[in-house]
Amino acid sequence: MKLDVKEIRKSFGEKEVLHGVSFSVESGKALGLLGRNGAGKTTTIRILMDVFHADSGEILIDGKKFVPAKFQIGYLPEERGLYPKRTVIDQMVYLANLRGLNVKAARESAKKWLARLEVSEYETRKLETLSKGNQQKVQLAATLVANPDIVILDEPFSGLDPVNSQILKDVVSELITDGKLVIFSSHQMSYVEEFCDNIAIINQGEVVLDGRLKEIKKEYGRDRLVLAAANYEQGQLAAKLEKEFGDFVTVSGRKKEFLVLSLAEGHTGREVLKRLAESDIEVERFGSYEPSLNDIFVAKVGEEEEHA
Amino acid sequence: MRKFWIVLKYELRDYLNSKGFVAMTLLLAIAGAVLLFLPRFVDMSGFTGVQIVGNGSQPEDMEEEQKTVFGYVDLTESGILQEEFLQQVPGIEWKRVDSREELELSVKAGYDAGFVVTGPTEYEYYVFNKSMSDSNTVLFNGLLQQLYRIDYCARNGLDVNEITEMYNVPITVNEQILNKDTGSNYWYCYVLVIVVFMLITLYGQMIAVSVTNEKSNRAIEVLVTSTTPNSLLFGKVIAGALGSLAQVGIILGATLLSYQVNREQWGGALDMFLHVPGEVLVAFAFFGLGGYLFYAFLYGALGALVSKTEDISKSISGLMTVIMVVYFFSLIQLSNVDGPVIKVLSYLPVSSYSTMFARIAMGTVAPWEPVVSFLILAASIFGAGVLGAKIYRMGTLRYGNPIKIGTALKDLKKSE
Repeated sequence: MKLDVKEIRKSFGEKEVLHGVSFSVESGKALGLLGRNGAGKTTTIRILMDVFHADSGEILIDGKKFVPAKFQIGYLPEERGLYPKRTVIDQMVYLANLRGLNVKAARESAKKWLARLEVSEYETRKLETLSKGNQQKVQLAATLVANPDIVILDEPFSGLDPVNSQILKDVVSELITDGKLVIFSSHQMSYVEEFCDNIAIINQGEVVLDGRLKEIKKEYGRDRLVLAAANYEQGQLAAKLEKEFGDFVTVSGRKKEFLVLSLAEGHTGREVLKRLAESDIEVERFGSYEPSLNDIFVAKVGEEEEHA
Repeated sequence: MRKFWIVLKYELRDYLNSKGFVAMTLLLAIAGAVLLFLPRFVDMSGFTGVQIVGNGSQPEDMEEEQKTVFGYVDLTESGILQEEFLQQVPGIEWKRVDSREELELSVKAGYDAGFVVTGPTEYEYYVFNKSMSDSNTVLFNGLLQQLYRIDYCARNGLDVNEITEMYNVPITVNEQILNKDTGSNYWYCYVLVIVVFMLITLYGQMIAVSVTNEKSNRAIEVLVTSTTPNSLLFGKVIAGALGSLAQVGIILGATLLSYQVNREQWGGALDMFLHVPGEVLVAFAFFGLGGYLFYAFLYGALGALVSKTEDISKSISGLMTVIMVVYFFSLIQLSNVDGPVIKVLSYLPVSSYSTMFARIAMGTVAPWEPVVSFLILAASIFGAGVLGAKIYRMGTLRYGNPIKIGTALKDLKKSE
């Protein structure tokens, strides 16, 4: 199953908030939908779920018009919401029932997911009596209770301790392995890197970067090197490089354990390594630079905002 | 449609599982029934005029305890107050005292009231706390007038009994009411108008609160992606209607049935409130429920325009004003049910819920009139439902400041 979002535009009143958003996602692969607060992620998701109608653009599934009502969609909203004064099992059965399961199947599925997320003991308790983390797990169980084909998770890890995060990570991995189409929105980039093959960064209502994460990282790392020395502090090393290696490289970034260098046009890493060997620098770390998703996000969104 | 039923069942279960709802229903129904069974066990003949068999005589000391005590001083030369005459007045014990001062002290000490007669047609009245319903002077005026007549007749050689009979000659009336008895129908209409008004405001607000709660606890985020706004709003409103109907039906049913069973014991004393003809109850059920549904959809829509329950009162204030105006107009117009104002009101969906059944109960209504009025109401309910669902859909996911109804309607117009 392949979902294509094409040139979606949406205005609220006079203000256009989405200016032609496009991205694709396939079953068995997760898409990381990234963006700053207010970038347009939730509006995009709501259009996808037919809560809002797009002013223009189209959404296709396997090349045909996507009709959300024909698919089971599990949506975990960023703003968690269930009924605080009702029991866990009661509202899970209700939601599963609304999504097409009969009462018996809904009850069985609810119990299965509560057990999988290790919150079975709370099934007859009112939601408001549970801790924030357990409420979060119940919310995820409610998202998955109708065995959805498409899973949309908006900030699923917020508020979870490391143990619960691990349980959730396992569940998300299983969903991807089971061939679900997963859209994953989060500010915690490490989780996105862990699960997502593809990303789409939305900034101020438009997709500023999308594609396969590996390729994006490769592209962002091209002509960039990392260097750490045993006998120089970072500051001293940077000064030495600017002075003695200025025609080869420039220092484009400082990380905790190494410097990031950008190669000057027409030069290669091999040449830099040769020069380093001839110098008094004791190389501790040298290689191609692979940026983190966080670096890419900050660089891309920052760059876009500078241009704006 | 399936989802509508699921929402309806879930919301209805919420009402029926609520301990407060069930307790309140049972408590009021039992209280109503117990109250109306009272004359079977307690002597209420003073109010009902019906003596319970085997309970007709009461111990004398008990009667003594219940008697009202009046003190009096007769300062007239001829001594117009005749003690034997006064003692014939039932339920009152008369105590002669010697002076104003003594009377004043006695009233302060516990007499219910005191009278100082200064002339054949003049007296002073003493009472410690004068209640709103104090009618002692009316009683004493009557007594003094009778004593004056007796004295006058005695002085002029007239037969007081003959004159009294002549003044109080009994008239026999054989009433033939050809249409409605407005006098006896007025009070139950009054009560039923209040019942519908309470039904609309109480349950309407409950629906608005329920919608806003789903918004404030963000359950709506998941709900709108699981079903349609139409199913949600219609399910919620109709569940509220059924819940309220069950509650009011049980309370009203228990009360009316208990009265019907004990009507003889009450001597028909509450007929004006509780002996409601079947046709009026049917009209009440149709128009009352119709009016409730009409307003409930609007309450639901208005609930969706705010994100916090404390903002609901702001959001529904306009609607409340309409309901209050209709309520007061309906009550005022009950005394003129065939007038042009109530005729117009009985066709408007905002007011037909109370005015049409009032006309049916007390006025002259052609058979087609309730039908046309109900068709207008039914169409308006549908319109309110559709409009309500659109506002609900538009408002549910807009958080932050309350949305004004005017803004909501403008936005709806733009989006169409």
